[in-house]
Amino acid sequence: MKTKSILVIALHDLRRWRKMPLTAACALIPPIVLTLVLVTLSLAVTQQPVALVVQGNGPASMHMAQIISSDTEAYDLTMTNATIANKMLNDEQVAAIITIPSTFDHDVANGTGKILLTVNNVDFDFSDDIRRAVDRSLVEFDAPSLVSDESVNSSLPNVYHVALDEQYIRETNVDWVHYQFVPTFVLLILDVGLVGTALLCALDGESKTARMLVLSPQRSWMLVSGRILGGVFACFAIVLPAVLLSVLFGFFSLPINQLPALFGIFLGTAFCASGIGTIIGTLVKGSRYVAFLSSVISMYLFLLGGGFTTIELAPRWLQDLSAFIPTRYSIDALRQALFYPNPTGLPFSLLVLALFAIAFVGVGSFLMRRSWTA
Amino acid sequence: MNPKLRAFLGGVNAELHRLKRSRLLIALVLLQAITFLVLVTLFGMTGAFAPTALVNNDNGPLAQVFISNLENDHHSFNLIFMNNETAARELVGKGSLVAMIVIPQGFSENISEGKTVPVTVFIDNINTDLTDDIQRAVPSAIMSFGDQSKLEGVNVSVVETDSYAHDTSFINYMVASALVLDALIISGTLSAFTVAEEFESKTAKLLAISPVHPLIPLMGRVTATTLVSAGALAITVSIGLIGYGISPIFPLQMVLILALCIVMFSCIGAALGAVMKKTLPVALFTLGIALPLYLFSGSYEPQRFDGNLIWGAAHFSPEYYAVGLMEHAVFNLKVTPEPLAILALALVGWIIVSLALAWFFSRRGFS
Repeated sequence: MKTKSILVIALHDLRRWRKMPLTAACALIPPIVLTLVLVTLSLAVTQQPVALVVQGNGPASMHMAQIISSDTEAYDLTMTNATIANKMLNDEQVAAIITIPSTFDHDVANGTGKILLTVNNVDFDFSDDIRRAVDRSLVEFDAPSLVSDESVNSSLPNVYHVALDEQYIRETNVDWVHYQFVPTFVLLILDVGLVGTALLCALDGESKTARMLVLSPQRSWMLVSGRILGGVFACFAIVLPAVLLSVLFGFFSLPINQLPALFGIFLGTAFCASGIGTIIGTLVKGSRYVAFLSSVISMYLFLLGGGFTTIELAPRWLQDLSAFIPTRYSIDALRQALFYPNPTGLPFSLLVLALFAIAFVGVGSFLMRRSWTA
Repeated sequence: MNPKLRAFLGGVNAELHRLKRSRLLIALVLLQAITFLVLVTLFGMTGAFAPTALVNNDNGPLAQVFISNLENDHHSFNLIFMNNETAARELVGKGSLVAMIVIPQGFSENISEGKTVPVTVFIDNINTDLTDDIQRAVPSAIMSFGDQSKLEGVNVSVVETDSYAHDTSFINYMVASALVLDALIISGTLSAFTVAEEFESKTAKLLAISPVHPLIPLMGRVTATTLVSAGALAITVSIGLIGYGISPIFPLQMVLILALCIVMFSCIGAALGAVMKKTLPVALFTLGIALPLYLFSGSYEPQRFDGNLIWGAAHFSPEYYAVGLMEHAVFNLKVTPEPLAILALALVGWIIVSLALAWFFSRRGFS
């Protein structure tokens, strides 16, 4: 009977969401847009548009050109002549020009070979990518065993006398777009659960329904639980189809053995979102302010949790701050469950997430109940 | 006084009074604008200076040369010097560091004798982009090391010519673009709220039966929000410029661009408010569309580098023209193939279009 009452309240909240289609649709815009942005950005962060001008025609020039053109991970290459390349650079069709000069073979024979690099260095993010890639190509020319996987164990001389013993921490190879895409589910949960619950709480206050709730024959904890559960249901109603669509479109594969963990991650995140939404919706008066604040807070939770960023690259203080953000554990756990064959940190992330969920739901419930009689 | 002017000034006055009572709203809009500055900072941090442990087991001079080349390698590493390889490996394992580089004992001596020395690079290959960066950065440092140490057998080097005398920091570049986005968030949201509230609170119906055209007092209200937006944006711009230590090269040009942006986005916000007629979705909608508009406007690099399709699509966003002008005003950079005069004309064109949109949708709302 109690469970049924809680479910009725939760479903009632879901229906209230349905009556605000414009608001609900707007809450979905950030995650949808972020997905599109990530797909677009994946084009920008991996390859750089570069023109290659080969003026030399000897074997060394050809070999150098072959090394550069085979690095398709770094360059989106256009082979052309110097005039067109300069025009392309001015028109921003390419970010740099690599020129193998006509004297290259002769100079290489004398040990003074030069590659000419012209870079549009408006900012150092992509121009550094190009510089590193060109350097690597040059190293491959002089010391193929240093960079080329096929030549690692060869007996070719290494003129730099420095060999690389590369070791990797994980047996995985996740590309940038998939790595950044996964946290979008967390943003989706935040935008639905946090913003939705916060708005419903605020609207209760505005319409004075909250005072009526005190007179309800149902126990107050059931009403509170129903509200929080409503937020969790709303999250799952949106996230489950989103996950299935992502799998259908091949964004990632769903590891069957990790399904319970994934359910736990979504559940913990949804409870956290609903709990935080309750706190905001109760403490802040006025639905428009709540809409603003909750959307800003969900954005901070997403960013500081490692969404759209690689938290490992952030300064130490930011990493420390991130340890107190529940979404950090959601995002970490999701990445581990989906990408890594040996997700050793998963139980810890789930445990911390559960503790956060209990804390937020507890505080949110207390504040909500108190606000009805205030 | 002319009744139309009186109605207009009445609208200005009423809106200023309303905004005076809604300080929390202005504070939240400011917070949202600052959030975007934080966002670009966080995104910018991922592009460079990977925190990397360096364990140096060699005290020779060549090890020092190698380290200095790692430090100066195209903003690639933020080296953290450690003595204990196990501790460094643990930090990489925990995700506190991205990689560990170990220079072995006898590094300098062996290289001097012409022997090849293995340098261990332990990488947290959390994603391929990060791994690729390290995989390119270490050989790049080795190449500079070879050049500097004048090692025998090094046959090729690179001669670089840059379009600009110095590189602009990635974060600073993005912050300059983000200020245009902040103009959208602040003025777009405030004016959308103002217009939507007229419809939500049914004041619009009362305005419709007033002796003057209802758009006149509404224009007064939007003018007031534009003035308040200018003040709020000034605060955000100050935070952005002072916080990131940016000195605009053409400050007057920057102020003019931002002023034009405020007018344009206020008009777009007014049109949005008239279409939505509800204040609640406005906040969520503005935040939702702000990010794609920002990212498809040449905000992190010249947009054409992302291909002609995306570059072509960017032309439909007013931010593209504003960011092109802004990067020039702040850093004297040319980030669009179009000349500045064309960008300025396009921006003025967008202002006319946004005025027309505001007029059309508000009028339709009243009818």
